[in-house]
Amino acid sequence: MIALRSTLTGRIVLTVLSTLVLLFLALPIVLIVVTSFGSDAFGSFPPDSWTLGWYEQLFADGSKWPAALSLSALVASLTTVFSLVLGMTAATALVRSKLPLRSAVYGLVLAPLVIPQVVIALGLFLLFEPASMLGSPIALALGHTVLASPIAVMILMATLQGIDERLEDAAASMGAGRLTVARRITLPLAMPGMIAAAIFSFITSFDEFFISMFLSSVDTTTLPVQMFNVLQFDVDPSVTAVSALLIAVAVVALVLVAAVRRLGVGKQDGLLPTEPGTGLSAGSEAS
Amino acid sequence: MAGSVLAPAPPAPGPKAPAASQGRLRRALSERRTRFGLLNAAPVVVYLLVLFVYPIFSTLLLSLKSEDGGWTLHWYANALQGSNLKVLLTTLRISAETSLLSLVIGFMLAAAVSRLKPMWAGLVMIIVIVPHFISALVRTYGWIILLGEHGVINNALTDLDVPGAPFQMLYNELGVVIGTTSVMLPYTVLLLYAVMKGIDRRLPAAAASMGAGRLTIFRRVYLPMVAPGLINAGILCFILCLGYYLTPALMGGPKQTMVASLISEQVMKQSQWNGAAALGIILLLLTFAGLLLLRLIKVVGEAAKNRGTS
Repeated sequence: MIALRSTLTGRIVLTVLSTLVLLFLALPIVLIVVTSFGSDAFGSFPPDSWTLGWYEQLFADGSKWPAALSLSALVASLTTVFSLVLGMTAATALVRSKLPLRSAVYGLVLAPLVIPQVVIALGLFLLFEPASMLGSPIALALGHTVLASPIAVMILMATLQGIDERLEDAAASMGAGRLTVARRITLPLAMPGMIAAAIFSFITSFDEFFISMFLSSVDTTTLPVQMFNVLQFDVDPSVTAVSALLIAVAVVALVLVAAVRRLGVGKQDGLLPTEPGTGLSAGSEAS
Repeated sequence: MAGSVLAPAPPAPGPKAPAASQGRLRRALSERRTRFGLLNAAPVVVYLLVLFVYPIFSTLLLSLKSEDGGWTLHWYANALQGSNLKVLLTTLRISAETSLLSLVIGFMLAAAVSRLKPMWAGLVMIIVIVPHFISALVRTYGWIILLGEHGVINNALTDLDVPGAPFQMLYNELGVVIGTTSVMLPYTVLLLYAVMKGIDRRLPAAAASMGAGRLTIFRRVYLPMVAPGLINAGILCFILCLGYYLTPALMGGPKQTMVASLISEQVMKQSQWNGAAALGIILLLLTFAGLLLLRLIKVVGEAAKNRGTS
């Protein structure tokens, strides 16, 4: 790249290639959104005519989508609660206290992110199947929390590190008990991080496919599993509308996270490491 | 899977509490801090022991049990021969192809972005990061619309009377690698970008001032500085691909079956749990091998650096 840098042709080649790569990343997503409003659910692009029909079909009589949607929302909400509780306590233990075997605990917490999901899913299946809990929202949420809690812990650890410990010490020295310090000092300061952790836990669960597939039963499936089944076996053009909805959920979530980060502390919370204008500005003058 | 694995972990912070020292009061305080730590760590540790460690452990046990309850390596032998072995090799091959492609494309994009002005770089990184948080299932579906026999690309090519159109781009290895690469690319771009940002621009400039040509600078100065990042990103990408399911299942044909698909098929359709467990454990061991390699390279690299400076 250095070799290409300063020549004009080099610059053009690099720009064209990069643009192609960005198209490669963005095109499938843009295409789905556009297609979901088009009368021909497959193929013709741009669509010949526009319609909201696929969205109407989602909620038509006999549609399986509303049930899957509400199960996904329920499971994602439970997962959010579980992983916030686990995340907050774990982050406190890792950042704010003396903990024997600290690095072992940290490793255990992050392990679910690198272990193949199929192995986790299979193990959970072996756990829940004998208890006949397949398809139960609780089982699904417990499973999703294995994947969501490491993310919550990472975000909340960064948040706690960003809060000046002397504020807590000062409150304690004025006679505030541990609970009062947590309630009046730490929690309000950690709020933006907690909101971000909640949002990421929610979309992790809402999008989760593999564990859901193993823990679903025949008549209770989450939205992604339902969608996968349709893609694999049926032809149901309303899938484009479901996909567009999932895209909307993710984008809204990311915008919310960005807004929360702009408002509050917790700027360096791990995920989204390259927020424009802050993370990138240091030392990147154009040459 | 989408949003799960990203995020280079924040640097593990050192314990903040000062080391316990003489004074009784301080020791008591530090003990209370320890108790407090244990109390707060307990929920997540118990949770993960019950819902993460124990399930994997029971998978391991299951993979070693024969049908009559005795111990056996039969399932491993079974997993490593015939069509199962073929699936394993396919998985390794597709993972390698995907990692290589993600590295090449990721290198290019990261290099281009690392010399953009901050505002543009931020914009480009948004285009890289946002898809990462959109369900991989949805993105895969987007590829199906694009690449299908009557998909957007083929329709366009047929309209343009391109000879040979429509092309078969789905249900073969090309489709799988395109789809998987688009899912893995954000990881490599982010990792490589972080490395490239950290490179001191004065070094290539110094080399140039000493008379090195552009190619020499690239090969002798730039590449060695980026190499650790490339190895890191490559191995991580490879590990993540090994257990990947969605895209190969939807965009591949029978010849592109990967281990995760095989496992789910053995569980869902054949109730062949022991065999599935053995395959899962093999996948786990491959992942561990990759992680170990990462660790090893880091240790060796640091040792070399220390020797160089002392």
